[in-house]
Amino acid sequence: MRLRTGLAGAAMAFVPLSVAFAQAAPAPTPDPAVLLQRLEEAENRIKVLERKLENQKDDATAAAASAPQVRAGGTRYSIGSADGSSFVRLRGVVQADGRHFEGDGSPATSNTWLLRSVRPIIEGTFNNIYDFRVTPDFAQGKTVLQDAYVTARFQPWAAVTVGKFKQQVGLERMVGDADTRFPERGFPTSLVPNRDIGVQIGGDVAGGLFTYSVAYTNGVNDGGSSDANATPDIENDAKGDVNARVFFQPFLNSDNFALRGLGFGIGGTYVDSTGSGTNTLLTSYRTPGQATFFSYRANTATTGNNATFADGERLRYSPQFYYYYGSIGVLGEYAVVSQEVTRVNGAVTRSDKLDNKAWQLQFAWLLTGEEETFRSPTPGTSFQPGKPGYGAWELVARVHQLTIDPDAFTGGANSYANPTTAAQKATAAALGINWYLNQNLKWFFGYEQTRFDGGGATGDRPDEKAYLARVGLQF
Amino acid sequence: MSLKKWLSAVAAAVVVTTSVVPHASAAGAVTLLNVSYDPTRELYEEYNAAFAKYWKGKTGQDVKINQSHGGSGKQARSVIDGLQADVVTLALAADVDGIATNGKLLPVNWESRLPNSSAPYTSAIVFLVRKGNPKGIKDWGDLVKPGVSVITPNPKTSGGARWNYLAAWAWAKHQPGGSDATAKDYVKKLFKNVPVLDAGARQATTTFVQREIGDVLLAWENEALLAIKELGPEKVQIVVPSLSILAEPSVSVVDKVVLRHGTREVATEYLNHLYSKEGQEIIAKNYYRPRDTEIAAKYAAQYPKLNLVTIQEFGGWAKAQSEHFGDKGVFDQITTQQ
Repeated sequence: MRLRTGLAGAAMAFVPLSVAFAQAAPAPTPDPAVLLQRLEEAENRIKVLERKLENQKDDATAAAASAPQVRAGGTRYSIGSADGSSFVRLRGVVQADGRHFEGDGSPATSNTWLLRSVRPIIEGTFNNIYDFRVTPDFAQGKTVLQDAYVTARFQPWAAVTVGKFKQQVGLERMVGDADTRFPERGFPTSLVPNRDIGVQIGGDVAGGLFTYSVAYTNGVNDGGSSDANATPDIENDAKGDVNARVFFQPFLNSDNFALRGLGFGIGGTYVDSTGSGTNTLLTSYRTPGQATFFSYRANTATTGNNATFADGERLRYSPQFYYYYGSIGVLGEYAVVSQEVTRVNGAVTRSDKLDNKAWQLQFAWLLTGEEETFRSPTPGTSFQPGKPGYGAWELVARVHQLTIDPDAFTGGANSYANPTTAAQKATAAALGINWYLNQNLKWFFGYEQTRFDGGGATGDRPDEKAYLARVGLQF
Repeated sequence: MSLKKWLSAVAAAVVVTTSVVPHASAAGAVTLLNVSYDPTRELYEEYNAAFAKYWKGKTGQDVKINQSHGGSGKQARSVIDGLQADVVTLALAADVDGIATNGKLLPVNWESRLPNSSAPYTSAIVFLVRKGNPKGIKDWGDLVKPGVSVITPNPKTSGGARWNYLAAWAWAKHQPGGSDATAKDYVKKLFKNVPVLDAGARQATTTFVQREIGDVLLAWENEALLAIKELGPEKVQIVVPSLSILAEPSVSVVDKVVLRHGTREVATEYLNHLYSKEGQEIIAKNYYRPRDTEIAAKYAAQYPKLNLVTIQEFGGWAKAQSEHFGDKGVFDQITTQQ
């Protein structure tokens, strides 16, 4: 009994042991040919995957090369072709101004906040040759089309522009609307045309050493744009104006860095045309605070029309220069408009040629060390509260003067302008600070005082003492 | 003449003068862009040098030809999207038709402007297999057997791939009891055996020859002959299927581009010269089948004997392209179902 039990027990012990030994026994060796086949299949799969990855990379590279370029940031928001030859860009300028006047020169009602510019700008280029720009302006409750033109840049020296565009005559007028150092441009800009409709040929010669333009346009009043014509954006007299300008930068590529920033030239316009009492083709002139300080006599007759009107030749010319060196910039120009006028006051008909003249000298100094140029500076740092960087700070100053031909006031009641309401001379001086917070945002604050000769009921018109501020956004 | 008229005349003269100046990269030189299909690199490298010499001798003008290569369909789309091709030399007429009808860059009657319906040479489709033909591939039917890996480019992008597909379809339909349904079924099985769909014929050759993927490459005849020449007959060999298709690559001047560039004369002569003795000789040397009977006879020995159908088997390219390769066409159907 014991032996049987023992033997049975031993047999029981052997069963799990034999099972364990059986499990531990090695598996049969797989067929090498099968292994080789599986290995080859795996290798083929890897090769296929690698090739697909290669093709994907090639496709991605090709797609990137033909993908449209989209840019957003800083001053560039655009979409364009892969090769960059065509693009459409969205830009904008918004300027909010504040004007505050002291003293007797301006009524309290002149103090105001206003939207000076609200301009979405759509511009672009097609095939590296054809540029276009459309700029509506919605400021001050009006809609005005500032720019609408196409330029074909066939060669650097031959670009043809057609449409409504800024006339290349006055130097300060050619400064971009977001790039001006003061909220309002100087007196010489009041004598030269702003935007007009026509055709222009121009370009750069010798890499910009010499720049020229010749245009034939409808013609606009001094300082004006064609949307201010008697019939907006239409020829307002019988003849078009010829505008031309040449500008030299002779040391642009010189080794003498001190002279590289010097440029000078002259622009002008000419027309021989006649207005009328109802469409005088003459304009008024305004102070930096935008108050009118000179106008020709308007119609006061009950029968007939005794307004002063343009009658004959109008020649404008404006020698101009700028100089930029490091953080300093100087801009100067002199403008003359020589205008033949007539006034019929009852039985008296008078005609004369009046020469109105203006000049200005602007000074700009970037206190933070950036480089002064014709355009707005690029701040070396941006201002962000709580972070290092304070943007760019620029001290600006200018003096400018506009002198009306004294012959405008001779003749008593038959004069072309009323000396008790129209000043014979305005001289202004300004000091201000521009703070460029970043590439897109600028603040201006300054003071400008304008002194007058004449223009008062008795004696001189009181000085205009203006505190001017602007917040400008551009992109 | 009044000032206004004088200024207008000056402006017009500037516009006319500067806009029709020939597309010159240097004084007196002219540049052309030839947008071609994938495997023609060697052909046009040799042809362009010969044409430049010919043009210089004829006119005294230097001409530089830039090349762009890729899948024929993809290249056609690039031209429609704005690639400034003075000439296109593509794998099939349908791709040039697309440039005419969709891109409106050349007239719809472009084929009639050059001899042989603007196809200066032909080719065909053959099989390229590993040396020794380890999978025993003899004909189209072997390509759908399990374990056979077929390399062919994507018909959506490659012209050669479309010729491959149509040759396969034609074979299936010519089999006893063959029909469109059996052909579709056959082509579906064929593409199930395709592990990689390259964008163009040359990429497919790279996949087969250099990456050593696949058992058989459905290849342009010229591409297969070139592979044997480059690699040697000890690496690959050609298998001639019982049926193939006469492939007729097409060429055309791109009218709107040459008008803009002022290159019509040189571009037209560039294509005309393909039909010259010199052009046809270069074509034959690069393993394409020349149209010139004299030169074709001279090089006859290098081409395998083939039994060929033409695109007319499918009712012409317009019908074939729309039915098989257009959106939701047969190719889309069979690949979607997989």
